[in-house]
Amino acid sequence: MELRGVGKVFPPLHRGQAPVSALEDVDLAVAEREIVAVIGPSGCGKTTLLNLVAGFERPTAGTIRVGGRPLGPPGPDRSVIFQSPALFGWLTVEDNVVFGPRHRGEARGDFLPRARELIRAVGLEGWEGHSPYQLSGGMRQRVQLARALINRPRVLLMDEPFGALDAMTRARMQELVLRVVGVYHPTLLLVTHDVEEAILLSHRVYVMTKRPGRIKLTLTVPFAAPRSVDLVGSAEFAALKYSLLKSLLEEEMP
Amino acid sequence: MKPGHYTLLSFGTIAGILLLWYAVTALGLVKPFVLPSPGDLGSEFLVLMAKGYAQKPLSEHVLSSLARTFTGLGLGLAVGIPLGLVMGASRTVFAILSPIFSFMRPIPPIAFIPLMILYFGIGEFSKVFLIFLAALWYVVLNASAGVRAIPQDLLRAAQNLGLTQAQIFRHVIFWAALPQIMTGVKTATAISWAIVVAAELIAAQAGLGFMVMDATTFFRVPDVYIGIIIIGLIGLTLEGITRALEVSLLHWQGR
Repeated sequence: MELRGVGKVFPPLHRGQAPVSALEDVDLAVAEREIVAVIGPSGCGKTTLLNLVAGFERPTAGTIRVGGRPLGPPGPDRSVIFQSPALFGWLTVEDNVVFGPRHRGEARGDFLPRARELIRAVGLEGWEGHSPYQLSGGMRQRVQLARALINRPRVLLMDEPFGALDAMTRARMQELVLRVVGVYHPTLLLVTHDVEEAILLSHRVYVMTKRPGRIKLTLTVPFAAPRSVDLVGSAEFAALKYSLLKSLLEEEMP
Repeated sequence: MKPGHYTLLSFGTIAGILLLWYAVTALGLVKPFVLPSPGDLGSEFLVLMAKGYAQKPLSEHVLSSLARTFTGLGLGLAVGIPLGLVMGASRTVFAILSPIFSFMRPIPPIAFIPLMILYFGIGEFSKVFLIFLAALWYVVLNASAGVRAIPQDLLRAAQNLGLTQAQIFRHVIFWAALPQIMTGVKTATAISWAIVVAAELIAAQAGLGFMVMDATTFFRVPDVYIGIIIIGLIGLTLEGITRALEVSLLHWQGR
């Protein structure tokens, strides 16, 4: 996946106001099976960046290519994990997971076994018949993860997926993502404001400037797989975290 | 408060009213032609059951009121739900139609009864048409508000999973708006029942509203009361049915 000189200018909400430039000249690449995190101060256009890749919005400058081809309309090749759980409340956990393949007319015999396997992989075995309202916040995000992975996406896009969870649940979810990544090896673009999360999960971290968002720094995370949450305690981790935080703080306080 | 006490208090109110009613009539505090006693009402009810009212069995009056209500309501829902969904989903359609609905909403539907009679006469059509219109307003407004309240992420999730616009409409928008659609259905049902009675008061040959009006003209006060009580009981039943429907359709809300 590749972004070249991507920019996004929003038309003004009210007459008389200036147009809002959210992104400027963003170059970003994610190799196959690579996990890339994008961090930046709030309001820097991280989510806009993700919406462009997902196809929910169109860039006003530059090009985006996925798998070497220009971007089409939103589709299951770029599955999104939203910050809000965005589950279909009237369907059971299993029906949420199979929602995509079922309505795309895929064979039941093909997607049902995959759904069962994914539900097990995200630790929701025994919850297949429950409704989303019966699940905790962390469990809902796990349903979203399974609902995205069942499409075998070229790229998995995560928009602050654990931002709304408490610290304990977030740590558990990060562990789960590390485990799932070890099994399914997705290509993953993760947008987050959580520096620790970015280092823990990704192979490379992009740091963005404040609005209009530009890439100001790219950093390679050297830790080998399989990783675990224990990394957070290491001196190397602390050094990485410090340099990223410093780079972010420059942005918050001009 | 214990649940048992709650029920006890509520039943106490009903028993108290019945007792008071019995007392004022038995003691002769009000004249029987003003307020008949519970006993008189009971025996008159048996007479109505046996002989009917105005050469028509009591059941016919009940059924003609219900038939008008359900025809008008059914048509209102059949047109109103899809129309409301489209209005909620399309800014263009909303911009075109919302002035009509916004203007009509605050007007009590019974204000149109004389006009309906003028245009369509006193037959079935004018009553059913009025109920249809009233049901339509409430269902359209609720359904379109329901669609506009759907979180953007939910629609994007469906789009992201590869559903076509038609599939999103049927499998996501309809269900996500259903709680508010049901609010509209409940209101529309209650309003429809109120309108049928009002319309029958003014012009009808059968129906509970007709019975109440006709009995008043002839000073048949017990029949007036019986008519009102039946109207009330049917209203309660309709409310119970719509509420049960809501519970069974929306159990996934976890309320």
